[in-house]
Amino acid sequence: MGRALTTAGRRSAVALLAVALAGAAPAPPPIRFEEIGEAAGARLPHHLRQFAGPHADVLEIFTAGGSAVAVADYDGDGDEDLFVTDSDAGRPNRLLRNEWVPSGALRFTEVAAAGGVAGGNDRLSIVADALWFEADGDGRPDLLVARFGTPLLYRNLGGGRFADVTAGSGLETEFGNTIAAIAFDADGDGRLDVLFGHYFKPVNLIELPTPQVLPNNLDEAVNGGGVSLWRNSTEPGTGRPRFVEVSEKAGLAAHTGWTLDVGHADLDDDGDQDLYLAGDYGTDRLYWNRGDGTFEDATKEAIGFDTKKGMNVDVGDYDRDGRLDIYVTNITDDYMRECNMLWHNEGRGSDGRVRFTDVAKETGTCNSLWGWAAKFADFDNDGWEDLFATDGLRSAGPEEYIPLVLELILRPNVDFTDVRLWPAIGDRSWSGFQKKKLFRNLGGGTFKEVAAEAGVDNDRDGRGLGVTDLDDDGLLDFYQTNAGQPALLYRNTSTSPGRWLGLKLAGTGPNPDAIGARVTVRAGSTIWVREVNGGNGYAGQSTTRVHVGLGAVEKVDSVEVRWPGGRVERFAAPLGRYTTVREGEGSAPR
Amino acid sequence: MRHDALRGAAALLLWGALAPVAAADTPPALAQLEQAVAAAPDSPRPSSDYRMAVIKAGEYDRAIAFFERLVAAHPKSANAWLNYGYAYVDKIPAAGAISRVILANHSLEKFTKSIELQRAWLALYTRGNSYLYWPPIFGKGALAVADLEEALALVKREPKRRPVHARVYVALGDAYWRTEQPEKARAVWREGTALFPNTPQLQARLARDGEELSTYIYDQLDSNERVDTSLAPLWAEP
Repeated sequence: MGRALTTAGRRSAVALLAVALAGAAPAPPPIRFEEIGEAAGARLPHHLRQFAGPHADVLEIFTAGGSAVAVADYDGDGDEDLFVTDSDAGRPNRLLRNEWVPSGALRFTEVAAAGGVAGGNDRLSIVADALWFEADGDGRPDLLVARFGTPLLYRNLGGGRFADVTAGSGLETEFGNTIAAIAFDADGDGRLDVLFGHYFKPVNLIELPTPQVLPNNLDEAVNGGGVSLWRNSTEPGTGRPRFVEVSEKAGLAAHTGWTLDVGHADLDDDGDQDLYLAGDYGTDRLYWNRGDGTFEDATKEAIGFDTKKGMNVDVGDYDRDGRLDIYVTNITDDYMRECNMLWHNEGRGSDGRVRFTDVAKETGTCNSLWGWAAKFADFDNDGWEDLFATDGLRSAGPEEYIPLVLELILRPNVDFTDVRLWPAIGDRSWSGFQKKKLFRNLGGGTFKEVAAEAGVDNDRDGRGLGVTDLDDDGLLDFYQTNAGQPALLYRNTSTSPGRWLGLKLAGTGPNPDAIGARVTVRAGSTIWVREVNGGNGYAGQSTTRVHVGLGAVEKVDSVEVRWPGGRVERFAAPLGRYTTVREGEGSAPR
Repeated sequence: MRHDALRGAAALLLWGALAPVAAADTPPALAQLEQAVAAAPDSPRPSSDYRMAVIKAGEYDRAIAFFERLVAAHPKSANAWLNYGYAYVDKIPAAGAISRVILANHSLEKFTKSIELQRAWLALYTRGNSYLYWPPIFGKGALAVADLEEALALVKREPKRRPVHARVYVALGDAYWRTEQPEKARAVWREGTALFPNTPQLQARLARDGEELSTYIYDQLDSNERVDTSLAPLWAEP
């Protein structure tokens, strides 16, 4: 603890110095966005699941998370498309085909029904998340739709058509109240495994078998759904994805928190993918991968036990020290000041173990209100990764729900699990109408909140984020989904950005998107590290293309890729455009 | 006479216990401090010292349970009830956000019992200051003003002016500010500054205005930060 305080103190001093220096330097050119959802045909409404019965609105608010977006070039035409979920019974999910290539217009055509992927919101299931990933290794991204219910797996047949291959995949047995899903190679066999994050324990919320389904404690709940890990056992070339549940064997079955998001990255830089689980109503978890698909719970030593409301996991190297840091949103409002967590990766200590220090306060990234998705991205290409954070739970009438919640909380010996005891919410708001936050990375360990001047301080009830460059101009755009409200599409129109380079990694074997690959770019003593991830961030999957803002750097010295299998290669990558780099075609590192 | 003798015995027990606490936060040391408190439930010093040791040891639930037993044995002891409330406050920074609300509410109940037994400035200040930590949406601002105005009236009747009394001026000003009475807030801070000119908390408030002052006060009333509940300033010499 003493060491951590010393480190934090040193960082504060550095931050103060950086602020002082920033004050003397000319202001950086502004980050600007334009909301073009309507014009682009992408302003899709989201509908919350409507429940029946006396506790309908309580269940509605506890399930109001499933407004998600997943980004991928599903049709292989070179631009990135969007899959957007809905949640109410009978409402279709939407597949937005990007018409940028070849038309040059940033417009979308909705093709979900034609492709066979609109379904999922049946009477007993609620769509809550979506994920593009390579399930069968054929080079076309397949689609996983996570539900409060059983998941759906759609095999991409090419030509814009999909086949529902859930039955027989093994996943059809996975009933859970699933709110998050990522794909990564847990066991190093080259195939992408799937980790589900479950919110409630596995009870059907629509036909409640018991009213006692809510958290047993609002700070340290242990009656949630935890996570489940599914090993991909698909035989290459069969076209029949197969998955086997391995949670117990992997060492993840003991976790019973209210998982809201899951994230993966090589956090200890040992070549395998580790896990961070964000838990609502209690402790987040960090697991080291032992390299064989089994995991060691390192929470106590690596981050400590928190009692916050973890909502999001994203990974990036915000301070360019070559180590991957973690950003977790929590709840901060007038009535609850949890503060987000920006876990700075301290690297290996003298005992050989990697630890993290929370620097959210020192860096100015503490407060994003009732947080949901948040993503690292260098929006101005200045060489530093910024953070955009969504927020807002429920925007409705002028009356607030929180005083009623307070009455419940203060009731002696109250059973929080009992849905019957929670007051009806009616038309009340709960942490509603919250302005989104864009934390601009100023370098030197400090961020400045600039959402209003960037034009992204909307007050929708935000949920998911998909960050990608939709028009290949080297500026990262993003799609923001909202709960019970239309989504927003922000095109990055910043006029004085820095230089950049972009990579599309093409791996060999059953992981062609190279999920888990690490890219290291060097220019002089400056280093940028990125990893390709399989769906990090709450309710939103971003691009698998690697984007690196370079600031004023005119030439990089090296671009190095550590492929998921461990091979390390160097590639030439010109600045100012996207370059496809293929595993096995690079040069050996010097 | 008997009261003084008890106080002397308590002091002996207390000083005997402090050394082991400083050396190691062991339960036996806390047990000795508990004996000291139990021997003098009306005396603020043993109770305060015990709680400070508890904070150091992180044994919050033990302290809450101890004071629960103490008030059961001494239901008329305003000091015991007051420290019972402080025991809940002491646990707040170690608890999750929702649990903090529950702890804060428990502490208010105990402070109220103390006030019912004895309308002392310290108890009124404590409860009034506690109300300030509640977000405005819960409507405790007027309650804070009422308690703190009464606390200030009592402080003005104290035979000896002590630096700790400045805290009442700070808190009452904050209560006025939170209830949108900025002129009254400034007036009470100025009054406090005239009496206690070297009080940084008063100076910091008077040096700010508007949104900056609101933010400053908001930051001061952060339940993530430990509230200083030591009663040592009561017997410290100015």
